[in-house]
Amino acid sequence: MRGMAIGELGRAAGAEWTKLWSVRSTWWCLAGAVVLTALSALTVGGARATEALRAGGAATFPASEPVVTAAVFAQFALVALAMLAITSEYSSGGIRLTLQAVPVRGRMLAAKALVVAPVAFAAGVLSGGAAVAVVYAVLSGDLFGGLVTLPPAEIAADLLGVGALFALVSVVAIGAGAALRSAAGTLTAVFMLLMGLPLMLAMTGAPVALEAALRTPLPAWLALMGSTDEKIGAPLYPAGEGLAWLLAWTAAAVAAGHAVLRGRDA
Amino acid sequence: MDDLSLDVKPGAVTGFLGPNGAGKSTTMRMILGLDRPTAGTALIKGVPYHEIRRPLRTVGALLDARAVHPGRSCRAHLLALARSNGIAKSRVEEVLETVGLAEAAHRRAGALSLGMSQRLGIAGALLGDPEVVMFDEPVNGLDPDGVRWVRHLMRSLADQGRTVFVSSHLMSEMQLTADHLVVIGRGRLIMDAPLAEVIARSSLTAVVVRSPHAGDFSARLASAGIRAERSGENELVATGAAIERVGDLAYEAGIRLHGLSTRQASLEQAYAELTADSTEYGARREGARNGDR
Repeated sequence: MRGMAIGELGRAAGAEWTKLWSVRSTWWCLAGAVVLTALSALTVGGARATEALRAGGAATFPASEPVVTAAVFAQFALVALAMLAITSEYSSGGIRLTLQAVPVRGRMLAAKALVVAPVAFAAGVLSGGAAVAVVYAVLSGDLFGGLVTLPPAEIAADLLGVGALFALVSVVAIGAGAALRSAAGTLTAVFMLLMGLPLMLAMTGAPVALEAALRTPLPAWLALMGSTDEKIGAPLYPAGEGLAWLLAWTAAAVAAGHAVLRGRDA
Repeated sequence: MDDLSLDVKPGAVTGFLGPNGAGKSTTMRMILGLDRPTAGTALIKGVPYHEIRRPLRTVGALLDARAVHPGRSCRAHLLALARSNGIAKSRVEEVLETVGLAEAAHRRAGALSLGMSQRLGIAGALLGDPEVVMFDEPVNGLDPDGVRWVRHLMRSLADQGRTVFVSSHLMSEMQLTADHLVVIGRGRLIMDAPLAEVIARSSLTAVVVRSPHAGDFSARLASAGIRAERSGENELVATGAAIERVGDLAYEAGIRLHGLSTRQASLEQAYAELTADSTEYGARREGARNGDR
């Protein structure tokens, strides 16, 4: 019974794989991720280097550091890719055929997540890697004081972190897409969760809200990446806790999507 | 849908008729587990749809031909369907050939005409070589050649022993294709009978009698409990009796006949009588012809 269910899931994932690569939007989103990561990393890195030079310091930084910041912007290319994997089926009506082929709704959702998450992870590592190369090529020259370094272990960790962010936000987008069905609604909801919510909470100024803001997905990821709080100069909170929050948000989005999928007519 | 019970048999084409909004598409979606009935079940070979292991191999359905990602090629669309149910890749080329889309396999679904979309939808339904085939308005948008092709296809699928369940609002087409009819109106079952019976039961199916003694014969028929109406000086129309019985009565009464023939109601006429009370939008929007969705 169990082996059979896994076989069914494998077939459903195979179909999703074929579907993912047979539409142009996937390629556009991936190209967008690469360009967006490289360009924003270059901007962030350039600003960082200029600032360091102006301060007269010789504090070096790894080429992957601006890439981590850049990923905060570039992640939306993957949000779009993942979202389209499900919302385009609702807009075209193809979801009915998908559910005719894979009538167990949780299995359909799992198949989409299983295909999109690794693709997003790879996209994060690869576009992050490309951005590191671009940042190093441009900023390691004398003009910027040769402040940018290439420490292998740190760069590897940062790239894996970017991959993890892309993978998890893409799964969040799939869950939200299943719950909301429309592309505009899904994109707005995910954007608000990632960017709007922590900002709004922080704006209230209340200590509780501030603490809560730090537990929303993006700050949680920054905690996972070991980002430091500018005021206290120490990590926001332990990396493990960041990962736990990130996973909890992802699980919540998938659970919401699954609940709507099961409850509503297709 | 309200308390609809029906049983669709293999080896025949069952036409599913009803006015717009009667619930034809909803019924099909319920059978496929896409919409959930508030009460009751839809079973295929005794099992709910979602419990079928590789459902496309048991049930092939075309609900909405346009419901395909417009940017995906015909081949990729079918390939994804095939993979989901463990259907051999070679089947994709086969069904593309069957529906006449082999040349257009690389074309994006959004660039197809409605008729070609219908063919792609039918290809998807046939992909798993299913025992049960359901088509919702399959001839919408097809040219006369395409219509004939769908008719022959449904016939041959039924002749192979498959269950063919097809909805349509084209009565003339159904009259040519269906063996059995299920008629619903406002979500209720109006008729579930063989095509021949539906037509025979219509008041417009009648025996036309030409006789110089039409008046006398009309009275004679009435006394035998057969409704007869004068339709001309020497002609009357008898309903509710077989032609043999009308002829025998004339012979017994010694009435000279100049003509005795049957008049068959068309399915369109029979259907109009059946659904006269249940056309949801008919009365208010007379003449409006909307495709059923």
